[in-house]
Amino acid sequence: MRISVRWLAEYVGVPSPADLAERLTLAGFEVERIERPGDALRGVVVAQIKESVPHPNAEKLSVTKVDAEGSLLQVVCGAKNYKVGDKVALATVGAQLPNGTQIKQANLRGVESFGMLCSAKELGVSEDASGLLILDSSAKVGTPVAEALGLDDTLLEIDVTPNRPDALSHIGIAREVSVLTGQPLRMPEIKLAERGGAASEKIRIRIEDPLRCLRYGGRVVEDVTVGPSPSWLADRLKACGVRPINNVVDVTNFVLLEMGQPLHAFDLDKVAGAEIVVRTARPGEKLTTLDGKERLLDRDDLMICDRDKPQALAGVMGGAHSEVGPSTRRVLLEAANFQPSSVRRTSKRHGLHTEASHRFERGMDVNAIPGALDRSAALIAELGRGAVLKGRVDVYPKPIEPTKVTLRYAQVSGLLGVDIPAEESDRILRALGFVRAQISHAAGSPTPSEAAAGPAIAKGETRAVYSVPSFRVDVEREEDLIEEVARIRGYDAIPNALPRGVSELAPESSEVEAERRVRSALSGAGFNEVINYSFVSPQQLAALKAPAGIALKNPLSVEQSVMRTTLYAGLLQNLSNSLRHHAESVRLYEFGRVYVPGEARRDKRAPPAREDLHLAGVLFGARRGRTWTAKDESVDFFDARGAMDSLLTALNIREVSFENAEIPALHPRAAARVRSPGSGEPLGSLGQLHPKVAKELGVPAATFVFELDVQKLYAMANLVPAYQPLWRYPPVLRDLAVVVPIELQNAQVRKLILEVGRPLVEDAIIFDVYTGKPIPEGRKNLAYAIRYRSPDRTLTDAEVNEAHQRIIEEVNRRLGGSLR
Amino acid sequence: MQDRLKKLIEAARSEISTASDAAKVEELRIRYLGKKGELSAILSGMGKLPPDQRRELGEAANSAKAEIEQLLMEAIERAELQKLQAELRGPKVDVTLPGRFQPPGRRHPVSRTLEEIVRTFRRLGFEVATGPEIELDYFNFEALNLPKDHPARDMQDTFYVDAPWVAPEQGSDENGVLLRTHTSPVQIRTMLSRRPPVRIVAPGRVYRRDSDLSHTPMFHQVEGLLVDRGVTMAELKGTLDAWAKAFFGSETKTRFRPSYFPFTEPSADLHITCFSCGGAGCRLCKMGGWIEAIGAGMVHPKVFEAVGYDPKQYTGFAFGMGVDRIALLKYRIEDLRLMFENDVRFLEQF
Repeated sequence: MRISVRWLAEYVGVPSPADLAERLTLAGFEVERIERPGDALRGVVVAQIKESVPHPNAEKLSVTKVDAEGSLLQVVCGAKNYKVGDKVALATVGAQLPNGTQIKQANLRGVESFGMLCSAKELGVSEDASGLLILDSSAKVGTPVAEALGLDDTLLEIDVTPNRPDALSHIGIAREVSVLTGQPLRMPEIKLAERGGAASEKIRIRIEDPLRCLRYGGRVVEDVTVGPSPSWLADRLKACGVRPINNVVDVTNFVLLEMGQPLHAFDLDKVAGAEIVVRTARPGEKLTTLDGKERLLDRDDLMICDRDKPQALAGVMGGAHSEVGPSTRRVLLEAANFQPSSVRRTSKRHGLHTEASHRFERGMDVNAIPGALDRSAALIAELGRGAVLKGRVDVYPKPIEPTKVTLRYAQVSGLLGVDIPAEESDRILRALGFVRAQISHAAGSPTPSEAAAGPAIAKGETRAVYSVPSFRVDVEREEDLIEEVARIRGYDAIPNALPRGVSELAPESSEVEAERRVRSALSGAGFNEVINYSFVSPQQLAALKAPAGIALKNPLSVEQSVMRTTLYAGLLQNLSNSLRHHAESVRLYEFGRVYVPGEARRDKRAPPAREDLHLAGVLFGARRGRTWTAKDESVDFFDARGAMDSLLTALNIREVSFENAEIPALHPRAAARVRSPGSGEPLGSLGQLHPKVAKELGVPAATFVFELDVQKLYAMANLVPAYQPLWRYPPVLRDLAVVVPIELQNAQVRKLILEVGRPLVEDAIIFDVYTGKPIPEGRKNLAYAIRYRSPDRTLTDAEVNEAHQRIIEEVNRRLGGSLR
Repeated sequence: MQDRLKKLIEAARSEISTASDAAKVEELRIRYLGKKGELSAILSGMGKLPPDQRRELGEAANSAKAEIEQLLMEAIERAELQKLQAELRGPKVDVTLPGRFQPPGRRHPVSRTLEEIVRTFRRLGFEVATGPEIELDYFNFEALNLPKDHPARDMQDTFYVDAPWVAPEQGSDENGVLLRTHTSPVQIRTMLSRRPPVRIVAPGRVYRRDSDLSHTPMFHQVEGLLVDRGVTMAELKGTLDAWAKAFFGSETKTRFRPSYFPFTEPSADLHITCFSCGGAGCRLCKMGGWIEAIGAGMVHPKVFEAVGYDPKQYTGFAFGMGVDRIALLKYRIEDLRLMFENDVRFLEQF
């Protein structure tokens, strides 16, 4: 809401603009900007043309002498639309115009010029560049032109919160200022002279939908001369960003900005049957609104109609047919009150957000109607030399009773946490227009029901019932009154305190610790964390052969139109972006949810979809980057596997199984499923991206990925392992190299070693995998470092030899191996 | 014989004194004291001597041997010392070469900020609660005193979700499934599942249909809720002031301004002194010295009624803050959208 300080000052005494802005902000009306439009016209003054002669050397120019407060200046000018004696805007030497022009002393074709005479466009006040801006003859020579044009005002841009529609006007803000500063509020004097017959003989009004139209008032002004508004009115509107149209429409806008009540003016001769009917639209009805658009109406739209058809979208915008124009003689003024939700639906449906709809959908004062009608009728009569007919036609089927709210004075202190005397609360509320209807003092002990209601109701408590002024549509409850007291006193007057009572310090969930360990492991492995949008494109999911995601009904773009079902989509997009910037080595991970559609819901309050927390990573490029210490190599499957090993180790998850699996997005030769050893439940997957998928998503074929279901992983974590005694006796180390069929996997061989070597084998660590000469085709060499150890004695060579021999025999016999 | 021994010692002394390395010393040891060495050669004629001379010679030979051994030992020590000195004087290691290391991965600035915020509230006794991101209109709006057609819904432009498996709401053909626009529905779900006292923070992703320099369609919030008997607005102020000092530094100041949220009454905006200039005014705070950081207020009685808490018995406060914006300000990032582009050159800065 834009407030003109000069206009505001008509209703209440105002402090300096900066002080005013600060006090309003502290009371909940945040002043976002303070503008002084006149500042742009510094150095431009009112001057009178005393003499004008043709330029000796240029046909199109004139040489003028202008009076600018005492000194007579010679100025060369190109315009022709002035006469000697006119008052014009002189930009003096040194001034800078709003369009950036610097005014300097100049020599124009041999004649010195000391300044520049300006057009309206050059001053930035209108688009008119046809000639000089001729000022009103009453303008005082030498004064700043901003003053003469009414631009020496200060404008406040105020963020009025949705609960305060009463403050969407100059009087509304003045009312707040009056309470904050103690200055009296001066309401405008309405000089209404009614003439001729009764308005009720010229117009009939009927409300068919009293739920959506609470009240509809009209006034009739006849013999109106429609024309341009005087400058005082046009300047006010322009200052507030409203374009002047004609004296009738401008008055309705003026009263809107002054009092807050939206008004509409109909050309009464265009209202068929001299009849207004407030009803919802009928099927197929159309209306061309003031913006020139023909609109097909919805049966839910509330309309202002005449005998035959709709003439306005109630509370939103008028219709073109009954618009007030130059030929209008008889005006019907409308001031009404519409149901907020009805106006909001129509406004949204038609994409029309107007000054009127903005106010109606927040709630208007039902009692503002008579005053607004009188004020606007009086002004129209004055400016358009018309006659206001006698009386208002005011249809108000069910008068609204004022809201009554009970306030326990002690609860003001109880909720705010600072002692506030009842007298102070009462003073603030009355200043804001609340009327104390009754006051009661609970003597003696509280009644049982009062006692049960809680500690706030105490013996000797004083309560009062306040009647809420009808413009305060936001106040319904005690808390609302308490907020008023807090707001006007200022929140700074409330002290800081720490919460009382013992809080239950719940132990940190184990998942927090598990997540911390996983993040630390991944960070140690060189993975940078990313955060991607939860929505992706359906094509990305399709390319990854992932389940289709839950779709948004109103996405911003198709790229962000479905909820992800895998974290790969975002990570691979990140990889592809990074490679465009020539990244040599990329390791990324993300923690985030995936969204599973179509879960059956037992309870209608249950979350609409299942959301699983996943962890995923992507690896590409150089393992170390180029270094001087080692030869550079590219990452492979075992770097992805290594990342997973590292986070499993961090969680003390010893044994999970990795098995080759067919996973559509992954390379058939290098894809693994990770399973929990006990239940066999899948925990996640890892591998190389399938070459076709890689190509489709624009990433290299040598891209490796992993994804895990974090909840299942955490369930297996052993965050507080029980201590194992340290070994006291030395180990015996023996290497074992066996040649086995190429399809045989490490896990099988290792498992056999541990099984056969029990209880002497402590561990078997694979340290070489080799194929090629001299190993025969179809076979490979596996080498293990076997560690023998006993908890209770030093092993002898003989028993180690015997165990080792048994392992060799069993590997050969059971796995088709042979000793190397 | 005695003469030969004397000469042998003289020769050995002279030669050993010039020996400069351990190999040469060993060579001399073999030459003089070895089985086929010169001392042995002299002693080999000893058998022919008469016994008294033999003994005399034996003593002389032993002392010669001891003397040569002593010379050899000194020579070895000398050689080792020289070797060590040579080794210590060799070319120096180029300490300017980089070491072998795996550069540690970085935490995303938003996730780091989120964790720090939550950790600070944990110190104030708040525990962490979570809730779904795909939410029902009821939890996101209705139960928070934002009925249908409420103008305050305009403050949060909403993404709606196509969820045909969810039954439409009663009296509506809409099933009201959406992406939560704030973390406040976690308040509702938490209060429905337990009785007061409640003291939680709820971090998480939220969504609004908006995209420009300072808005992304997804961002992060931390919500807070404290409900008990007799909770006051002074405690709201004190809690957030304590949090701001713990998070931004003990010199941080806070101020509260009246504001409006449908689910709190009274409502407030918390501003903190700019952590860049400390309140003097700079580009970050647009010269104002203050930064708007948190929306807060006393829980609206209608919210308590929606979850079955008696507003006559309980009061409480709630607050919510945008994590991404705090991270943006903290790291002086100019364009919020950079946060979710995840350019490696961006990520590696944090």
